[in-house]
Amino acid sequence: MEILRNISRRKLRSVLTVSGIVIGVLALTTMGAIAENFNALIDGGVKYFSSNVQVGPPDGQTASLLPISKIDEIKKVEGVAAAFPSYTFSAKPGAVSAVSFGFPDLIVAGDPEESNWSNLKTTFAQGHQIEPGSTGQVVLGSTIDKEFKKKIGDTIDLPVRPPDAKPDFVNHTFIVVGILNPTLTAPDTFAYLNTADGQMLLKDSLPSAIRDQIPVSAITESIDVYATPGTSIGELDKIADRINNQVTGVKATKPSVIVNSFKSGGAIFTAITTAAALLALVIGGLSVVNTMFMAVAERVREIGLKKAIGATTRHIMGEFLLEATVIGALGGLIGYGIGAVITILVNANTPQGQSTLFLLTFRLTVIALGFAIALGAVAGILPAWRAARLDPVTALRNQ
Amino acid sequence: MAHLQLDDLTKHYKQGKSVIRALDGVTLEIDDGEFVAVVGRSGSGKTTMLDMLGLLLRPTAGRLIMDGTDTGKLGDRELAHLRGTKVGFVFQEYNLLPSLNVLENVMLPLRYVNDGKDGRKRAEDLLERVDLSDRIRHKATELSGGQQQRVAIARSMVNRPSLILLDEPTGAVDTETAQQLVALLKSLNEQDRVTIVVVTHDLDVAAEAKRQIRLKDGKVIADDVVTPIAVA
Repeated sequence: MEILRNISRRKLRSVLTVSGIVIGVLALTTMGAIAENFNALIDGGVKYFSSNVQVGPPDGQTASLLPISKIDEIKKVEGVAAAFPSYTFSAKPGAVSAVSFGFPDLIVAGDPEESNWSNLKTTFAQGHQIEPGSTGQVVLGSTIDKEFKKKIGDTIDLPVRPPDAKPDFVNHTFIVVGILNPTLTAPDTFAYLNTADGQMLLKDSLPSAIRDQIPVSAITESIDVYATPGTSIGELDKIADRINNQVTGVKATKPSVIVNSFKSGGAIFTAITTAAALLALVIGGLSVVNTMFMAVAERVREIGLKKAIGATTRHIMGEFLLEATVIGALGGLIGYGIGAVITILVNANTPQGQSTLFLLTFRLTVIALGFAIALGAVAGILPAWRAARLDPVTALRNQ
Repeated sequence: MAHLQLDDLTKHYKQGKSVIRALDGVTLEIDDGEFVAVVGRSGSGKTTMLDMLGLLLRPTAGRLIMDGTDTGKLGDRELAHLRGTKVGFVFQEYNLLPSLNVLENVMLPLRYVNDGKDGRKRAEDLLERVDLSDRIRHKATELSGGQQQRVAIARSMVNRPSLILLDEPTGAVDTETAQQLVALLKSLNEQDRVTIVVVTHDLDVAAEAKRQIRLKDGKVIADDVVTPIAVA
C-alpha cells in the first residue's frame, strides 16, 4: 500500500512514467501478437514440410505435371514408406488478393489417407474425413468454412465462380462432409478433395486444346513422399537425394531446405517486430530510471529515518526496487490490457475469409508482463543503490 | 554494568586541510533508566554525540559500549539491528512519513525489526498512551506539531527500546505542548524504565532531566545531577 501511495504522491509524474511503460508494452503486445500469428503459420509449414519430401517436375519443366506412375518408382526407393499424389488449385480464381496474413484459399486434393502420415495433425469440429474412393465430397478448413458459412450436408461450388468468369469457366458442386478445427495455419483456408476430384479439376484447368488428349488419371501435380513416422529431417534429406539419383524425370526437394526457408523468414519477421517493440519499452524504462532518481532525491530524509529505526541497506534497496518494479508491473498490466483489447477487437472485425492478424499466446503474455516487470526492476537498481548508500546522518538533516 | 559506556569517544571530520573535532575524547557512562539532557551551544558536539549513541555514526577513535557490546566491532547490518531493537529516535522535525497514516507511522519500525508478536496492538496501545487513539487513521500532515511529535514518540517506543534519543524534541512546538511532551517523556522514563537522552537548548526540558551533560567544543565540560534548585 505504501508503495502505491508513494507512486500516487506525484500523480502527473507517475502517470507519465507509467505511460512510457504502457506504450512500450502495448507495442510489444500488438507487434508480438503479429509475430506470434506469423510464427503459428510458419510452424504449420515447418511441421508439414518436415514430415515429407516434396517431389515435383524436374528443373526446366514449366508444366507442373508428373506421371502418376512415378509414385510406384518412388515407393521402391530405400526409406520411402508412402507416397501420395497431390493437386492444388486456387479456390477463388481471378480474385484480387489483398495484403493479408495467412494463406490464400486453396483447393487441395489428394488421398485422405495422407493425413495419417503428416506431422501437421488436423481434427474435425464437425463431420468426418472424406471417404476413400468417394467423389463429390469436401472437407473445409475453419476459415474458409466461416467465409462461406457452410455446415455439414451443405453444398459448395468449387472453384468459386469469379464475377467476371468467362463462358467456359467450369466448377463442380461438392457436399461438405467435414469441417476442421482451427489450426492457425494453412489448413484453415484449404478445401480438401479426394484424388479423383483433384484430377477432374486438373482436367478443367488444362487448355482446351490438350484437355482431352491427356489422361488426367495418369498424372499428378506433385508427389508427397513419407518415410516411417519419426524419421528425422536429416534422414528425409537423404531420401530426397536417393529419389533424385534413382528416379528420373522428377525433382525431390530436401525438406531441410524448405523448413530452413520457413524458419529464417519467421526469425527475421520476429526479430524486426520484437526489436521495434523492445526499443519502445526500453525508452519507457528510462523514464522509470528518471522517476526513481527523483523519488530518491525527494525522500532523502525518509531514507535517513528508516535507517535510524533499523532499516538495513538491503531493506532500503529492496523498497525502492519494489517501487520501480510496481511501476513496471502497472505499466505492463495496463499496456498488455490495452494491447489485448486491440488485438481481440481487430481479430473480431477481420472480414470473413481473411486470416486474423493477431495471435495472443500465453508465451507472449508472459514475455510482455515479465519484460515490463523486469525492466522496472532493472531501471530501479541504480536509484535504489543510491538510496541505500545514503549516509543516514546526512540524510536525516537533509533540507 | 552501565547501559552505555563512552570510552574516549572521538569523532573528527576533515574539512579541507583542517580537522573539525566534533567530539573529542568523551568518556562517561549512562546507566539504565537515566534521564539525561545534553546541552551546549550550537557546534558543541551535542548532535554528533546523539548520532553516535544512536549508532548512526562510527567513531574516529574510542569505544561505545552498549549493554556490554563493543559497537565498534559490529558490521552495518548488526548496527542496524541494534538500532532497531534497542534505540528509539525522536527528531525535532518529527520525520513522519506523509504517505502513511498515524498508526502506520508508529508501526514503521516493526517492518525492519519485528519480534513477530502483537506489534499492531503495541502501536495502538502507545497511541492511546499519547492520547491519539482517535487519530490513528489520520495522515500525519493532518495533525498539529505537538500531535506529530507524540506520534514520533510512540513510534520510537514501538519496538520496546531500552534507549530513546531525542534531538530538540520541543524545538518546533509551543511552550504548553513542550510541557506535555516532557511530561510524556518523564512518564516513559519512570514507568517503563527507558533510558532517555535528550539533546536540547530548552532549559525547561533540561531541568526535567535527572542528569545534565554540558558539551563545549566536543568535550564534556560539566556532568551534573540536576536538582530543581540547580536549574533555578
